[in-house]
Order: sequence, then structure tokens, then C-alpha cells
Amino acid sequence: MSVPNEDKMASHAQLSSHFFGDLLDSIIVDVASECHRIARLGLDRNLEEEEEELKLSAQARERVADPNNSGEANSKYVVDIFGQTHPPIASDIFECMNCHRPIMAGRFAPHLEKCMGKGRKARLKGTRSSTAAQNRHSRGSPVSTYPPYPNSTSTNQLSNGTSGVAGEEYSNGTFPES
Amino acid sequence: MTTGNPSYTNPKPCKHLADYKLNHGLSGYKSLQKHLKTAPHGKTSVGKPSTKTPRCISCDGFQDIERAELYCCVCCDQVYDPDFDKAVMSKHIMGITGDKNGDESIGKRLVKRRRLGSGVVEELVDSKISKQLISMRDRRAKSCYPLGLRGLNNLGNTCFMNSVLQALLHAPPFRNYFLSGGHNHETCRKRSVDQLCLSCDIDVVFSAAFSGDRAPYSPAQFLYSWWQHSANLASYEQKDAHEFFISVLDGIHEKEVKSRNQNRDNGDCQCIAHGVFSGLLRSDVTCMTCGFTSTTFDPCVDISLDLDTSNFPPKNTANKSIKPDANSSMSTLLGCLDLFTRQEKLGSDSKLYCQNCQERQDSAKQMSIKRLPLVLCLHIKRFEHSPVTKMSRKIDRYLQFPLSLDMTPYLSSSVVRNRFGNRIFAFESGESDISAEFEIFAAVTHAGTLESGHYVNFLRLRNQWYKCDDAWINEVDEGMVRASQCYMMFYVQKSLYQKANEDWSHLPISPRRNMFGQ
Repeated sequence: MSVPNEDKMASHAQLSSHFFGDLLDSIIVDVASECHRIARLGLDRNLEEEEEELKLSAQARERVADPNNSGEANSKYVVDIFGQTHPPIASDIFECMNCHRPIMAGRFAPHLEKCMGKGRKARLKGTRSSTAAQNRHSRGSPVSTYPPYPNSTSTNQLSNGTSGVAGEEYSNGTFPES
Repeated sequence: MTTGNPSYTNPKPCKHLADYKLNHGLSGYKSLQKHLKTAPHGKTSVGKPSTKTPRCISCDGFQDIERAELYCCVCCDQVYDPDFDKAVMSKHIMGITGDKNGDESIGKRLVKRRRLGSGVVEELVDSKISKQLISMRDRRAKSCYPLGLRGLNNLGNTCFMNSVLQALLHAPPFRNYFLSGGHNHETCRKRSVDQLCLSCDIDVVFSAAFSGDRAPYSPAQFLYSWWQHSANLASYEQKDAHEFFISVLDGIHEKEVKSRNQNRDNGDCQCIAHGVFSGLLRSDVTCMTCGFTSTTFDPCVDISLDLDTSNFPPKNTANKSIKPDANSSMSTLLGCLDLFTRQEKLGSDSKLYCQNCQERQDSAKQMSIKRLPLVLCLHIKRFEHSPVTKMSRKIDRYLQFPLSLDMTPYLSSSVVRNRFGNRIFAFESGESDISAEFEIFAAVTHAGTLESGHYVNFLRLRNQWYKCDDAWINEVDEGMVRASQCYMMFYVQKSLYQKANEDWSHLPISPRRNMFGQ
């Protein structure tokens, strides 16, 4: 019985690959048809421009990462474009609008925190009603909706630390963090 | 392209198809309509009829049944006909329960309201007004540098605020509004009533920045006011630039609403914050069983994008090394926008109720932009929070971004049309008044970690880039900006960017400092 069996298997194999071929053809034509239409109707994106942009960005990154470079990205400037120079902590002195004491600019924010009282901290955790879009099923909250201020539990924050100054400078002892 | 959509070119008709239509009109299409069937995912095909295969014997045309496309046997090519596509789409739209006009009517309603409100803002971008402002410039200013370029002192971890303020100071329509006296802090009535008006404080900052004085300015008053405003909303320890941006716009809006006793509806707000930054997003939720789509529109002042990490290499070696083929695995802003407008299948655990099927079904959601703002703020979600481990981390992945941005592919008309196979059909009406071409003018970058990092703003004025690092303003080249890690990018409509560049090039100087309330 081996010959008829082999024949059967062979024709099964042929049929399978025939079906597979058809399916594959169909998928290929799907893509071809889509692309053909997009090209004919002038809907295609300017790929050359996009590639050029990618190249420029890649080159820029290489230059910046190159240790032989003068490292402009992170270097401290001697003067700014107006020929001025500035201390690490801003040294202007002005009057606090809350307590009217003279405060140095670079320490104004931490002073104000204390000055305005600790009771301000986390008083009301954003209970503003979220608009519909935020309640909708989404992959996180893709948009900031109107009213503009989102729920305070919004998870996209980047806190900033020092501007090159160590945290110990702040006399209240806390290092600001989010 | 000056007019907006539809942006496709009407294809030149194939001679044979044109002849066929001359002889037979649209009757062939109409009889075909009966057999057309559009699947839930948007592709149309011709259902197998019980009678003969639909083929016109007297012409040389033919039909791709699987895809409902026309094929000309003489040209040996796929051909396109607006009337055919219209027949396809009309069938589909009429097949949907009830609404014959579908989304067109929604679009029309919104557009009408928008047109009424846009007059105020458009006036402000008039270059005539801007030219008047320049003539009042202080003689002391170092005239070779752009007006308004001035460092901002860091008041103690306030670089998040400084970087956003710099962007606001140089957003053309926003700047023009304040410099032309749109909100004069000396005559503001709101202020005298309840002492707190964020717009007044912003006006003060504008005056200081454009006074001509180049010594760094300390925005202490602004910080004080903002803290008072934001204390009601959330912990004032917010140190995130994006959160700050949103809360400032909200502060401006709130005062406007209170003073005009307006209802807070989702229509067109006339305040300067929304006039400049507000756009409209469209959200389509489609039932995957019957194809019924429910559409909603929501205003937004910016767009938050997930990083396009589809090409993320399996081993996390990407951060420092730059391989020659880095292009293929680089995240790009266009990639993020593609991701944003991609149709997303909602999991089976979040089936939505379909009005048509009258039960919960698997659904897919797709976002698109119905109306673009004058200034488009794109925010990259670099903060990742895991609900499992309760740990947060920052995603340092590099993002490539263009200096010129064409938003056409992300408009509702393009996205919806693409969903239906790019048929030649007016899917969305009335998007054409605002152009989709934008130019970047500010980029807020972040360096460092989640807990301790630093924000820097790069400004693009008259095609020269400036690095604004708190008090330090320096000229930098484009390459440094391209290589930086962007967190928020500010794009303005190309026409406004070009106008802004022109305005500052002629500098008649006159010593009328007091105009800015100094």
C-alpha cells in the first residue's frame, strides 16, 4: 500500500503549499495595492527628507559623544552672549513678598516654601473632575485635557534637582524631590 | 500646500475607464454597490453575489473582488476613480445605523463655532502690531541679539519653571498678545479684586524680558503667584516642567472665565491660553464585530506621546554606543505620532458596549487630530511608573525630532481616510483653514535622573539656536540641539514662524521704555 499512500501524501503536500501560496499572494497583493494607491494619489510621505533628518541627528549625536570634542554640550561657559558671567547661586537680593525680608535670589524658592507655611503642602490632592477623555479607555492618559490641569496622580513628571549646586545648600534640610 | 485637505492629487483618469463612464455612466457602480461590504477594520471587498461575477463585458475594466479596486486590463494597472470610491464609501456610511451624514455633520458644527472664535487670536499675529512694538525698544539693548532674549535666575530648583517661561516668552502669538497690551497688569480689574492674576504676572515677566535689559531676571513674583494658584490643585512641590506648563495655562484660563462669567463648556474658549495652544482631538472607538464607530471630540492644550520603542534592541546597550546602523533603531517623533494615531485594539478584558450589536464587544480605538492649534506642544512621556513594583524610572532613550514638522498624516481626515483604504472621499470637512506645517521654536530638554536632573531650553530665533540654561544664554549650533534629550517640543505654524522672523529684522530705536511699565 505504499505507493497510493505516497501519492496521497504528495498531493496533500501539494495542496497545502498551493493554499499557502494563495494566502501569501493575497497578503502581498494587499500591501502592493495599498502602496500603489498611496503612491498614485500622492499620499506618500517624503521619505528622503525623513532619512536626511535621521542622518543629521545621528551625526550630531556622534559629534557630541566624541571625547575629542571640546565637549561643548556640558562645558561651563566663561561668558554668555552678552559678555556677562553669573555665579552658581544667583546673588541678586530682593524683598520676599510674604515676609518682606531681603532674600538672595538663588535661595528664594526654599525660603518661600518655609515662609508660606508647611500647611500648604498636599492640601487637596487634585479632586477636580476629570474630563471624559481621561476616563476613557486609553493607554495611560495620552492627552492633557480641558480643564487643563490634570489629576495630580498623573504619572508623567520629571523633577529637577540642582542646577549644579549641591543639595546641602538648602537650610531647611530637605532635598526637594517629587 | 496652502489649502488643507484633501491633500491627495486627483489621479488622471485612465482613458479606458473614462470611456466606460461616458458610455455607461455610473450604473455599473450602482449595481455593484449592492455587493459591497466593508469589514469592521475598514477594508472593503465585494461579496460573492449569487449571480454572475460582477464584470462589465462591454468594457475592458475589471474588478479586484477582494479589495474592491478597479483594474484596467488595457493599461494593465490598478486605476482609481473618485466616483467609484464615493460609491464604496456611500454604501458604507448608509449602512451604518441611522446617520446618513456620519461624521461630516459633527465636523461642520465644530468648524462653525471655531471660526467665530478665532478672530481675536488671528488679529494678534498681525505683523503690523509687532512692528509697532519694536519701535518702542530700549536704546540700551544690545541690538544685534533678538529682543526678549534674557536669562532667568534659578531661584532654587526652579529650572523647570525657567525653561517653560522661555518657551512662552517666545511663542509668537502668545508673545504678541502680551506685548501689544493684551493683558495690562496696571489696568487689570481682576487683580484689584482678588489680588491674584497669573496673566498679570506673566505680563510683568514679558515686560522684563523685552525691556532691553540683558542682566538675568528673577521671576520671584511669578513664582509666588503661581504657588498660590497651584496650591489649590496639587502639592506645590511639583517640579515637572510639563505639569507646570499645564497649570500656568489653567491659571490664565481660570481668571478669564471668572471675569467673563462664561460657562466652562467644551467649546471655543477665548482666553489667550486656549486661543494659542488649544487643539481638538478626535477619538474613534470601533466595534470589531459590526464596524459601528462611536466618535468623540475633546479639546487639549498639548499632546503627550509615548516613546516609539518598537525597534528597541533586546539588550540595553543602546544608550551610549552609536552604531553605524543606529538609524534603524532610533526613536523618532514621527514614530511617536504614528503610534499615537495607530488603531489600538483594546483588550478582551475591556470590551465596550456597542449600540449596534446591543452587547459588549471587542473594540479598537484610534486617535487623530481634528483641529491643530497655533502653537503645538508635544510632550514626551519619559516617566514610567510600574504599578507592580511601585517604582518609577526615567526613560533616557534618545528621540530624534525634525525642525520642520508636517502634521498632515495625523489629522483626522488623513487617519480616517487611511482606515478606509485611502478612498477618494471627503471624510472630514472644514479642516482646511489651518495649515499643517509647523516649525520648532523651543525645545525643553532634561538631563539627569528622576530625582536630580536639570532642565535647559533651546530657543530658535531667526534660525539661530540659543541655549537658555537659567541665567546663561549662549549661542549653540543646531547639532547640539539635535543631540539633546527632548522632553517638550514647541512647534508653531510655519506662517507665524516666518512672520516672527521678519518682524525683528528692522530695528528703529526709540527711547520709550515706559511703555512696558518699568
